[in-house]
Amino acid sequence: MNAPLFQAKDYKSELKPIWCPGCGDFGVLQGLYRALSAIGRPPHEVAFISGIGCSSRIPGYTTAYGFNTVHGRSLPIAQGVKLANPELLVVIAGGDGDGFSIGGGHVAHAVRRNIDLTYLVMDNQVYGLTKGQLSPTSPKGLETVTSPLGSLEDPINPLLYMLAYGAGFVAQATPADMPGMSALIEEAIRYPGFSFVNIQSPCVTFGEDEQQLKAHKGKMKTLASLGHDSTNQLAAMDLARAYGKELYTGVFYKNPNPPPTYESLVKLRQAEQSKKARARHQILEAYLQK
Amino acid sequence: MLDDLILGMAGAGGDGVVSAGESLLSAASSEGYHALMTKSFGSQIRGGESSCRVRLSTKKVLNPGGALDVMVALNWEDFFKFGAELPLSVNTVLIYEEKAGPPPETLAARGVVPKELVPVGITELTKKSAGSDKAKTSVVLGLLSGWFGIPSEAITRGLKKKFGNKGEGLLEANEKALAVGIDYAKAHPLQAPHVIAKPAGTPGSKMLCDGNDMCAAGALFAGVKFFGGYPITPSTEVMQTLTREIWKYGGTVLQCEDEIAGLGATVGASFAGKKSMSATSGPGMDLKTEILGLATIAELPLVLLNVQRGGPSTGLPTKPEQGDLFQAAFSGHGDVLRPVLAPTDVEDTFRTTVECFNIAEQFQTPVILLSDQEIAQRKEAVDLIDTSKMEIIERRVPTEAELAAKPYARFALTESGVSPITHPGLKGGTYLAAGIEHNEKGDPTSSGAMHAKMNAKRFRKLEPLKKRADLFEVQGNPNAALGLIAWGSTAGVAREAVQLAKAEGHDVKLLVPYLLYPIAEQVYANFFESLKHGLIVELSHQGQLYRILRMFTEVPKGVRSFTRDGANPFQPIELVKTLVELKGLPS
Repeated sequence: MNAPLFQAKDYKSELKPIWCPGCGDFGVLQGLYRALSAIGRPPHEVAFISGIGCSSRIPGYTTAYGFNTVHGRSLPIAQGVKLANPELLVVIAGGDGDGFSIGGGHVAHAVRRNIDLTYLVMDNQVYGLTKGQLSPTSPKGLETVTSPLGSLEDPINPLLYMLAYGAGFVAQATPADMPGMSALIEEAIRYPGFSFVNIQSPCVTFGEDEQQLKAHKGKMKTLASLGHDSTNQLAAMDLARAYGKELYTGVFYKNPNPPPTYESLVKLRQAEQSKKARARHQILEAYLQK
Repeated sequence: MLDDLILGMAGAGGDGVVSAGESLLSAASSEGYHALMTKSFGSQIRGGESSCRVRLSTKKVLNPGGALDVMVALNWEDFFKFGAELPLSVNTVLIYEEKAGPPPETLAARGVVPKELVPVGITELTKKSAGSDKAKTSVVLGLLSGWFGIPSEAITRGLKKKFGNKGEGLLEANEKALAVGIDYAKAHPLQAPHVIAKPAGTPGSKMLCDGNDMCAAGALFAGVKFFGGYPITPSTEVMQTLTREIWKYGGTVLQCEDEIAGLGATVGASFAGKKSMSATSGPGMDLKTEILGLATIAELPLVLLNVQRGGPSTGLPTKPEQGDLFQAAFSGHGDVLRPVLAPTDVEDTFRTTVECFNIAEQFQTPVILLSDQEIAQRKEAVDLIDTSKMEIIERRVPTEAELAAKPYARFALTESGVSPITHPGLKGGTYLAAGIEHNEKGDPTSSGAMHAKMNAKRFRKLEPLKKRADLFEVQGNPNAALGLIAWGSTAGVAREAVQLAKAEGHDVKLLVPYLLYPIAEQVYANFFESLKHGLIVELSHQGQLYRILRMFTEVPKGVRSFTRDGANPFQPIELVKTLVELKGLPS
């Protein structure tokens, strides 16, 4: 076998991550480098878009182009990037608060447009960067600095959301299984359309014990081992209901017949319409009143 | 013979007065008249009251004009809903639907009762000629043609265009109604004739367009490749036009899920290297503010159109106001400097839009294009704009060879403040764009020293704008003791006021800034130097430019803020009167 064009280290920048020692995001970053190496696109053809949060720092730790934007807006911004240049490989990285709380309104629309983007959510059920507040995926009853008497809310189920919105690729991973996670990230990137991987990436400082990598190792179950058929959307939804109780890893759903992407339809439209283009200095003539 | 004629029409939503105004405008423009139409409605989707004003002229039309020469009221109740928008004078010919009865006392209470009141059985005439009352406005068009000399052939051409494909019956009915109107006018001459002279221009040489059309056309001309937006009155037409046209030129429009996403996608496309824009109105500006800050600190070019409407909140969605200048200049947290430019009329919206793209790309900054409902939605017949000498500035991107020569620093602290900008896909140019403060390379920093340097750079790079004489219109005797300053749609009123003042023997000079922010201190200082008295004319409660000028310049005591709240347009003559009154006062 030939050596890959780009090694994992070719995607690693000189910036030192700000994360706490033992943070799950270190593992996610490592898995990401590996997936990119397996895919082999040169770093300058890759764009990482993120919002705000611990995990949103990821773009700076790669040698690719990065855009560390504002809280909750990575999805629309990434869509602009991809539509402006469909040749790019565009990956979005962020946390559960960024994606499902402040940015929650964008998720359905990013999915339904089916632009070829890969969305990696590092789900740690807590706001880490602001030091341990309640997040949209925090379990009910969780005691945090903003829920000192216990949370009164049910958490969001990111997997079920994505499936219900119609995402063509939905998976879950944990850095506790490095080979499995990097393979899933790679598969998600290769999927021609919007893809989503929920990565259970523990917060070592504010997370609960049972959410740590060590606990993941004992708890995780691959969907393959359950005999799940990842082309079965309904079965995927059924399994996704166990979010927060079970830690299933692998592909919940992968559309066996991916529909055309938004950008491929744009390309067709542009080709068809380009015949009607006016020369630049004749654009205004369309308004002449004869 | 007149060389200028201002007509108004008002009726219920279904009466078709706006559509009649459009027919009139289209007829006039195809004949070679300069013309301008503004419309005004309640904010109902259907029904409610609606009105329009059409000004025809043999010369360039500067603004919708003051008191009407002709007013057609299809009923009184709807007419009275438009106060200052449909002003009458003693010389107005007031034509009204006979069955609505004589003008109620409310008319006298408004101050002026025209000398010539002309009741016409418009509904009766329509029923008799067209067989139903659906073609009422064609009778009105006939009356206007017969009494005021607007060529009927052109109106007929317009009717054919409009009804030609809607079944023979409809076109015929309207043609009959038109003929009846013309005959009626001929048989019932007015006391004082108001016939407009023939235009000098060649038929077929005028563009018929509104400000939103010219913004979209300007964007296409400048080479826009991405538009992200969300529908909002009164800017939506820009997105509607672009989403029909942009594909032809290799671009994309994304109608987003909300205002935030609209500007988000736009800043993303700009990061990816494409000329990008978004459009909105006040409420959308509120929501877009955070992304504007991101574009400022990440130094990404984009153009954001704000078609101002009355505010705050939902305010007056269908009426103009110049109340968003503070917002355009100052909204958002942090120390921010971003350019704000305002077009002053429909034609000018084309040029100013192109200018905004040029400034955005040259200085790597978001630029606010601050239009308003009147300019954006008023239709004008104007001469075709000569674009042959217009410059288009493209983003200066380093070549791969330049990038290979030395380590790339996206935010290098250059003397000009402008740093080399790359985009994804370009080899050797990778960097991290971010909302977080950064060092020259682009890596995040929380260093106070670096923050100070980056702020200075972001301010420094826009300094050259203040020296651009072409971003300011200065008219009149530089030593005049009287002066007007006006921006946006108010500029057209001020331009005409200067002409009127001159005709009355008063020496008044005028300053119209296209660049509203940053404030070009020297331009204003020069203008103020000779002034004893002056007015800064704005359609807003506070007079926001006046207040900003007091922050940045020494405004002479004799120069005052002259304001009126949105939806209450100025008339050129009142500016002249106010100036003349001031003239007698000590400065």
